[in-house]
This record gives sequence, C-alpha cells and structure tokens, in this order.
Amino acid sequence: MDDFYAECDEHLGDVRSGLLTLESAIGKQAPDPSILQRIFRNFHSLKGIFGMAGLQLAETLAHRTEDYVRALTRNEVPLSDEGFGALTAATERLEQIVVAHREKKPAPDIAGLLDRFGALLEKSQDATPAVARSSAGLEQRVAEARARGLRVWQCLFEPSAVLAEKSLTVNSARARAQELGEILHSAPKIEAGGKISFEFVVASPSAEVDQALWEGEGIQIHEYVSPAAAPASAASSESAPPVAFVAPSHVVRVDLTRLDELMRIMGDMVVHRARLEEVSNRVAALLPTNEARALQEVNIAFGRELRNLRDGLMRVRLVPVGEIFQRLPFVVRDLAHETGKRIRLSATGQETEIDKYLVERLKDPLLHLVRNSVAHGIETSEERVAAGKPPEATISMRATTVGETVLIEISDDGRGVDTERVIARARAAGMAVTDRPDSDDLLELISQPGFSTRDAADRGAGRGVGMGAVQDAVRDMGGELTMRTERGQGTTFTLRLPLTLAIADALIIAAGGQRFAMPQSVVQEITTAAADAVKSLEQNEIIAYRNGILPLIRLSTVFGLTPEPRREFPVLVLGTGLNAVGIVADRVIGQREIVVRGVNDPLLKVPAISGATELGDGRAVLILDTNGLIQTARQKRERRGPGTQFEKAYD
Amino acid sequence: MTETLRDTDSYILFELANTTYAVQSRDVQHMEMVEHITPVPNAPPHVEGVVFSRGQVVPAINLRLRFGFARAPYTLRSRLIVVQVGQRRVGLIVDAAREFRNITAEAIRPPHESITGLSGQYLAGIANIGDRVVLLLNIPEVIKSGVDVAAAELVLAEK
Repeated sequence: MDDFYAECDEHLGDVRSGLLTLESAIGKQAPDPSILQRIFRNFHSLKGIFGMAGLQLAETLAHRTEDYVRALTRNEVPLSDEGFGALTAATERLEQIVVAHREKKPAPDIAGLLDRFGALLEKSQDATPAVARSSAGLEQRVAEARARGLRVWQCLFEPSAVLAEKSLTVNSARARAQELGEILHSAPKIEAGGKISFEFVVASPSAEVDQALWEGEGIQIHEYVSPAAAPASAASSESAPPVAFVAPSHVVRVDLTRLDELMRIMGDMVVHRARLEEVSNRVAALLPTNEARALQEVNIAFGRELRNLRDGLMRVRLVPVGEIFQRLPFVVRDLAHETGKRIRLSATGQETEIDKYLVERLKDPLLHLVRNSVAHGIETSEERVAAGKPPEATISMRATTVGETVLIEISDDGRGVDTERVIARARAAGMAVTDRPDSDDLLELISQPGFSTRDAADRGAGRGVGMGAVQDAVRDMGGELTMRTERGQGTTFTLRLPLTLAIADALIIAAGGQRFAMPQSVVQEITTAAADAVKSLEQNEIIAYRNGILPLIRLSTVFGLTPEPRREFPVLVLGTGLNAVGIVADRVIGQREIVVRGVNDPLLKVPAISGATELGDGRAVLILDTNGLIQTARQKRERRGPGTQFEKAYD
Repeated sequence: MTETLRDTDSYILFELANTTYAVQSRDVQHMEMVEHITPVPNAPPHVEGVVFSRGQVVPAINLRLRFGFARAPYTLRSRLIVVQVGQRRVGLIVDAAREFRNITAEAIRPPHESITGLSGQYLAGIANIGDRVVLLLNIPEVIKSGVDVAAAELVLAEK
C-alpha cells in the first residue's frame, strides 16, 4: 500500500508543478500543450491507480478532471480562471482523499467539484469553438502561414542524457524554435519503439535554415510536410499511452524506514569507532612504535571511510525543498482570492536539498508562515498604493545551504509587525513586555500561547496553530526561527535547520564538571576571555569583541552548576552582528562527530537541551539547544532583574 | 487453564527505604547497575538525569525522591529498573532488586488508606507474600511528568 501512496504523491506532485507553469498562461496565451498533456497523463494514471485501490470517489473525480483537461488540450474550452481554480481544487481534494484513506478517515465530498467541472465542460459546448489549436486545426494554420508568405518548418527534438548534459533540453529546443518564428504547434510524439520526441511546427520568415547548426543543438529541422494520416500527436492525446512521460528508469524508490535503519546502524558504527580510537590510543603506548603507528593508520583510514559512508548515506536522504515550495502557491492563491489582496509569490533555491525527514516536518510551519504573511503582513492594494508601494505584494521564499545548515526564508514586503499593537495585546494578556522590544522580543511575544493580534480567529493565520507551534516544530527539528521586521517594509522569517538530523559535528565542552555537546554549525568562532576582562552592564555580563561588545551567557549559571575557578575561559560565539552572544564554558574538550539521539520523554522536556549523545564511554552527553539556552538565560536574568537594576543605581 | 495463567502474574520485587515494592515483570525491559547518570539541568527534582540504555536515551527517576524519602548514596546493590509503558521507556532507581515472584490475584488487595499515607496514587495494590507485605507500584502514575507538588508536599508534611 505504501507504494500506492508514493505513486499518488508522485503524480499529484507532478500535476502541481504542471499547474504552476500553467498558471502564468491563464487568460494570456493558449496554454502550453505539452504541459496540458503532462497533467492529462497524470490524471489518467491517477484514475487507474485509484481504480485499482478501490478509491471510487477519487477515481470518479480524477476521471472528470481528466475529461476537462482533455477538453483543454483539444482547445474545446479556453483555460479560464475558474477552470484553473477547479483544477487546483481537484488536485487538493484528491490529495485529501488519499490522506483520508491512509488515516482511515471518511473521504471528503466531491459532488461540488464534479458540478464545477460539469459547468465548465458545458460551456465548451455552447461557446463557439476557440481558435483551432488542435492538430486538426494545424493544417489550416499551416496553410494560413504559407499564404502570408512564411515558411513552415518542423523541428524534432529527441531528449537524451547526452544532450541534457550539454543543457540541451526540451526547453532549450523550444526557445530555439521560438527564435525562429511563431510556434504553430508543439507536442510530444511517441514514436515506434517507445522513443519520445518533441515536435515543434514553426512559421518563420526565414527561407533557409542551417541544418547543421540546428543539429548541433540536437534538433532536426525540415520543411513541414502534412501527414497523410491523422497526426501522431493527436493520436497520443486520444489514447494517453500508459508509458510514463518522463520516468527516469535509473531511480530507485526506497522506503524511508529502511534508510532510517541504515542511519541507525551508521550511528552505532560511529560510536564504535570512537570507542576503538579511545582504546587504541590507550594501548598504543604499550606497543612497539611501528605497530602503534600501523594501528593508528588503520584507525584513521577507517574513520575517513566511515565519514564518506555517512556523507553518502546522508545525501541519499536529501530531497529538494522545492517539493514544499510547490504547495505554497496554491495556498497563497486561495488566500489572495479570499482576502482580495494581490500577491505574487517568488521562489528561489528550490533545488536546495534537505533531509527527507525534515521536509515532511517543514510543511506545516512554512504553510503557517505564509498564511501569517498574507493575513497580517500584506496590505490591501489600496493601502499599498497609498503607501507608495506597487499594488501587488510579493512573498518570496528562499532556500540556501550554508555549511551544514539550510536557511529557509519567507519574506513579505508588507506592513511589518505593528509593534505598538503587539505590545498592547501582550500587556492585555498579562505578559511582561519591555518598552522597546526588538525583533527577537516581538517574535517571542507573538509565539506565546494564546497570543493573536486578530480578535477573531481568522482563517488565514488562525486555526489554533500559532507562531508558538511554528517555534516548537522548528526547535524539534533542531533548528531555530528568527524574525526581522521593519515597519512599512515587511517581515522576514528565517528558519535555520540542520542539513540532516542523525549525525552532526559538535564541539564537546565542559561546564561545572559536566560535558555538553554544542552543534558546531551554530558556533561562529571560539575565543578566549580573561576573567577580569568581563564587565557588567545592567543585568548582562559583556566582553569587548571585534570593536563591539559580546553579551555572555555562562553555562554554569544557566544550569545552576558550579564553575571551575579559572582566570581564563573559552567563549563560543553564536550568531553574528547584534545577535551575537558568547557562551561561556569551563573548557573546550574537542571536536567530535556525534550521533544525535532525541530526548522525547516528557520528563526531559527542558529548555536548552535538544538531545543527547554518547561519546564511546556509555555516558550520556547532553546536546545544547542554543536558542533555548539564550532564552533560558534571558528569563533567568529577567527574574532577578529588578535587584540588579537597583544595585546599578548605587554604582 | 487460561484463568490460572491470568490470575498469577510474575513480579520483580525491589527495596526502597526498607519497604518492599513490586512491578510486573512484563512492564520491565531490563535492569542494570546504577552507573553514570548524566544530570539534566532544570529537569524535575526527582529526575536524576539520563542514561544511555541500549542505544536509547532514558530518563532516570530517583524513586526515593519521587516518594519523598531522603536521598541515599548509590551502592553496589542499587539498581536501575527500566520500565516500558506505552511508547515511553523510563528508568527507576531503587535501593536493591533481586527477586522474581509470582503473585496470585487473590493475594492482592486494593491500597488501604491507613497504610498508604505516602500518597496512595502511586500504588496499584498491596500483596501479602507469606508474612511479607509488598506494595505494587502504579507505574504510569509514578512516571507522570506533571509535577504534582501538592502530593509531594503532602508526603513531606506527614513525615
């Protein structure tokens, strides 16, 4: 059954990405037939697999959707806004049905959607046939073009791996055909033997073409000759061959739990190797020098290969974040419709890869952030124009990899967080609020349970999942959420996530006689501070750092441990610029590769600890959650705040 | 036949502050000597810390503290009893644990108010084995995460 779900996912995902490309064409030009074909095929396949799995509702809906898309491909109906809406709604509904089936819940109703398609298809019969675009109409258009003195060329492009390596794809072929002239017709052709090629029929003022030049780009070009029989492309749209359109045969589908199992074994191996190293370091002293060296060499080589294996295994688990980005446009589209706001969504870095496990868990938080932007951040077109902004708002999603972490940003050019309102609201809810909260403070306030700047829970951002849930989800993934907001300019949320969860590089540090692991990816720098260089400023301890100051957080203080008396101590610098803080430890023990084990038990749900690891001696070492650490430190300070301020007054 | 099987359950007996307690064997994953326990800062007071137990991070509850007794240093007899309840796996630190016993259903009585001044909620029942009295532990209640300060204070007040 898992295969069934995976297959549904794949087809629905492909439909979604097809719809995205299609959306730009609404009401402008005739939709790209190859995209329609692709969507058609997906619905066709879905209909088949739903039928086999006995999901009758889904089968019916897929069937009706297929009918509509077929009408679109034949140009019996134009692609309207409502038509597109119905397509996206159907895609979503199918997805809901699949989910409901998986969770053994009753399937949602489809009657409304069937009616919508019914109405759309009926229109097609009333309406005068749109400009003939189907292959049947092609002959007529060829004749017309020739009558205008243009020459009509047929370009054939057969995609292959070799060509793809040279960046020669259907898209490049299409671009090339466009340069030549007007594309009268474009369609994939299934040739004898199952080969797929793309045909472009182009009307061009050029009387001659350099065939060799075109061949260099993988395109065969000839003067167009009308086929005697029905064109192959028409036949293909009719019968929708079950051959998957682009099904790369070199891809293997793997159950995620199997990868998890491999990852677990890998983790155990890393621990065993650490143990091996420890033991061999001990016994090396007892061995003759050359034997000891041989032992260490083997150990080092083993470690290196293990790391390669780990990296390879990790890469297998990585999937592009584009998978989630693709869902968001539909949400934004719906919300924009509902709220009457005009919103453009831009996405960059979709190819950025992240662990599959994280992708699954990222969906809801990202969805919420986008909803939040639409509901609270973005103004109406009128307000925007009045503020001198373009009427159409932009939400941009960006993903990039920075070292071992992935950054995902959701930013809007809306009104920014209304600080006064947040303060008023927070005070009304009885929260402690500073007078001039910065972005971090604001984020913390709006993440508090029960906080909402809208009185009525509005559909856009509400539904009970607040920023708090986003914060929790991001923290559970071992990541952190930050916010930048500027009044009138917009708001940017940044999610910083580990590339993968299971194994990470960490710094092992000691504080108050206990060892802790700090994810190395968050540490910018390790510097040393002399005890007498520490100054107190209000409730903060600070040191001079890079022409500025660095507030310090003492691990021993946060955790209520007794620090080792030291005249000099290491400071781990986290964050940059104004967000930088220094974590004070007693000692830095070293850098290690650690296997991250989650601590899920409710008894261990304490801030500042994100998990535990073992370094080969069987003892648990706690992994620090830097965000939680900073917050705990802040809360501790606030609790003893007044006293310190009092002392300061008498300084 | 099946009746008798259900009526007699196997228990592990353990000692805590000179009293004998019992947990059902099928709830127990395994037992180990109390070795290094990593303290978890800011965890509830009765949570001594975490241990790595068969590749999993397991919280270790000091049952003495949970029940309001004074802390006692670990000895060679101290044991960590790792119990599994639903998805959770939790370690219980006890003074000693050595005995397996079958206890029949007839031997078990509900906790008696007068004996269980120390918060009856932690007990599932009381059993008599020969001339010994054994307190059967209500594990889900013992490993509950909410800090029941009221119960703890009650216990202390009664001491």
